[in-house]
Amino acid sequence: MRKLLACLALLIIMAGILSGCWSRKEMSELAIVLGAGIDRTPDGQVRLTLQLARPGALAGAGGEGAGAKEPTTWVISETGSTILDVQRKLAMRISRHINWTHNVIVVFGEEAARHGMRQYTNFFTRSPQTREITWILVAKGQAKDILETTSRLENSSAQDIGYLARAKAGYSVNFKDFKVMLATKGSNPIASRVEIVERGVSPGTEKEKSVKHEGAALTGTAVFREEKLVGWLDESETRGLLWLRGEILRGVITLPSLTDQGKEMSVEIMRGHTEVEPYYDGESVWFVVKIVVEGDLLEQQSSEDITERDVRKAIEKEISRKVEEKARLALEKAQGEYGVDIFDFGVAFHRKYPKIWPELEDRWDEVFAGAYVDFTVEAHLRRSGLIGKRGTER
Amino acid sequence: MPEVGKIDSKQAILLMVIMVLPTGFLFVAAVTAHLARQDGWISILLATLVALLIAWLAVSLGLRFPGKTLFQFAEVILGRWPGKVVAFLYIWWYIHMNAEVLRQYGSLLVAAFMPETPISVFMLLIMAIAAYAVRNGLEVFSRVNQLILPLILVSVVILNILAAPEMNIKQILPVFEHGAVPVVKGAVMPAAWIGEIITMTVLIPYLNKAKEAYRIAVTATLITGFFMLITQLVDIAIFGPITAAWLFPGLDGVRMIHLANFLERLEPVVMVIWVAGVLVKISVFYWAAALGSAQWLELKDYKPLVLPVGVIIYALSIMAHDSLLDLFAFLGMFWGPYALTLFIVGIPLLLLIVAVIRGQGGSRH
Repeated sequence: MRKLLACLALLIIMAGILSGCWSRKEMSELAIVLGAGIDRTPDGQVRLTLQLARPGALAGAGGEGAGAKEPTTWVISETGSTILDVQRKLAMRISRHINWTHNVIVVFGEEAARHGMRQYTNFFTRSPQTREITWILVAKGQAKDILETTSRLENSSAQDIGYLARAKAGYSVNFKDFKVMLATKGSNPIASRVEIVERGVSPGTEKEKSVKHEGAALTGTAVFREEKLVGWLDESETRGLLWLRGEILRGVITLPSLTDQGKEMSVEIMRGHTEVEPYYDGESVWFVVKIVVEGDLLEQQSSEDITERDVRKAIEKEISRKVEEKARLALEKAQGEYGVDIFDFGVAFHRKYPKIWPELEDRWDEVFAGAYVDFTVEAHLRRSGLIGKRGTER
Repeated sequence: MPEVGKIDSKQAILLMVIMVLPTGFLFVAAVTAHLARQDGWISILLATLVALLIAWLAVSLGLRFPGKTLFQFAEVILGRWPGKVVAFLYIWWYIHMNAEVLRQYGSLLVAAFMPETPISVFMLLIMAIAAYAVRNGLEVFSRVNQLILPLILVSVVILNILAAPEMNIKQILPVFEHGAVPVVKGAVMPAAWIGEIITMTVLIPYLNKAKEAYRIAVTATLITGFFMLITQLVDIAIFGPITAAWLFPGLDGVRMIHLANFLERLEPVVMVIWVAGVLVKISVFYWAAALGSAQWLELKDYKPLVLPVGVIIYALSIMAHDSLLDLFAFLGMFWGPYALTLFIVGIPLLLLIVAVIRGQGGSRH
């Protein structure tokens, strides 16, 4: 009998403990943040913009297209002195608990980035709710405007931008990467630039006209000196940046035809890697950048015979020239216009010459700006799609 | 004899490993990176070498007095009252160490997972389970551990593999940038950690093959050292210069995992490792403290002491620190030298020297 009572008591106690969490919050009590924007107001305050998911509308959007007229997100912003301070203010305007755990992107407005990133990024790495894999983007203009856009393909513009960043078309940077770049001497942070551009058309129906759609997209790279934004690289220069940093390289190289005037061909990059070798002779610093690129010819407007070895060699040479051209473009901008090392050359130097590094580290950007860089690009044309020689003869 | 259980060599190895790893997995990288930066992994290697010597010391000492634990043979070596003092210091050490571990356990859960839950809830619950485990004796929690530890080790390996895309192993370069001094400094805390193998002096009488004690201690130290090394390398490869900024680098390393758009948010796995691992870890020290107290008081059974010892551990754990930062400052700056000089190396070495000079104890059997 005693045993039975003890068992019963235990069961009751366990039912109390095991049934749920202490600070349980149901899905329907959460305001899920999909994207956040940080702007600096003229009087130096933080303006936080939150893009919140509207789960009810999301559920509708999954069904037949006709009913999905309701917006799937809700954007709200407020100013304050710290991000948490703004969040507290927002909590009084949002009926649910603000939940950061599914946040995909944080967009920083141009003003905020120019003023310095450190004061704004701290919250996002300190709070247990936010994640280090959240993408950092810098808006040309206001972050608020970016978050107020919609997406035609995804449920929200934040997810849309998140997928673009994940696809690594540009140089995508998350909070961890940014913090590492910021903490490393001989390295300056970079981040993707996000901008509102024209993005396709929503076809009309019988009743409505078709609508041109504006949306946010990645259009290059933001360049920082330490924590402060100093300028931008456009899309073409960003390609050069990718080559120089040896990031996963995807994309297409387009080159002029060898024989036919005005015609071009495109090579899809399959893989590639970059090695940066620093040299120091006691006075000057120079670098040898070795880039290896492999690609497949997938489009040929012209009609040279690529089955011939010499033609392939000539194409490979042309690819090398193109890659070097792109890389030089980014390099010149970084060395000449901004004077900041955004290619981790300083890191490579530090690793090779740890004894000399302490003399140079404090004026590294200067040293970098004056350094000579030599390129050797090795290109390989591996395949040519499903066609060998073009069947042009009649 | 208060404890009647016997465990086999494999169980003993696993027990000595889990005594160190759960906390090591989460904290070690920040502690060493703080002092030795990217050379932290060399600190771990150094610490493992030191711990091997400590393991040798512990077993040499233990085997001289078959059937007796540290709490008992201290009296044989030093005489009744000095021996009692030494045994008491060790009881204190096990209680204190356990209080710190318990506080770390609660702190992580509150800081990273459930910020609104009072820390005492986590601490009370795990102490209640640990008390139950300790009451049931060494054999019981050794067997539980036989189930838990392999799962933990496999999880750690899988998590590290999944985090591979985030790693840049070049971040461990340049090696020895600031010379050997920071590396040695960085080795103190891990040495104190892996050096907890000194607990072999308490465990040897309960091995069913005491002869294998050397093998057990060395194997356990190597396994622990290996996993600490991997953890250190992984965290440095992921976080580079910011490793030391995290309070729980092991947790943040796992938070970085994101594969193929769906395999992310794996930190519940860390939570499982943490809760299960720390439960056994706490049980081992708790058992040592309770057993030691019983032997110190020359009782027949340690079971009546389980509850009082547990209450002391819990209370100390609550009172010792007023904040998480205080706890970390204490562990980072003070704990390593304190544990290492006194309890892990100092006193055992003294006991061994005196025992050798006085010719006490059988050499080996």
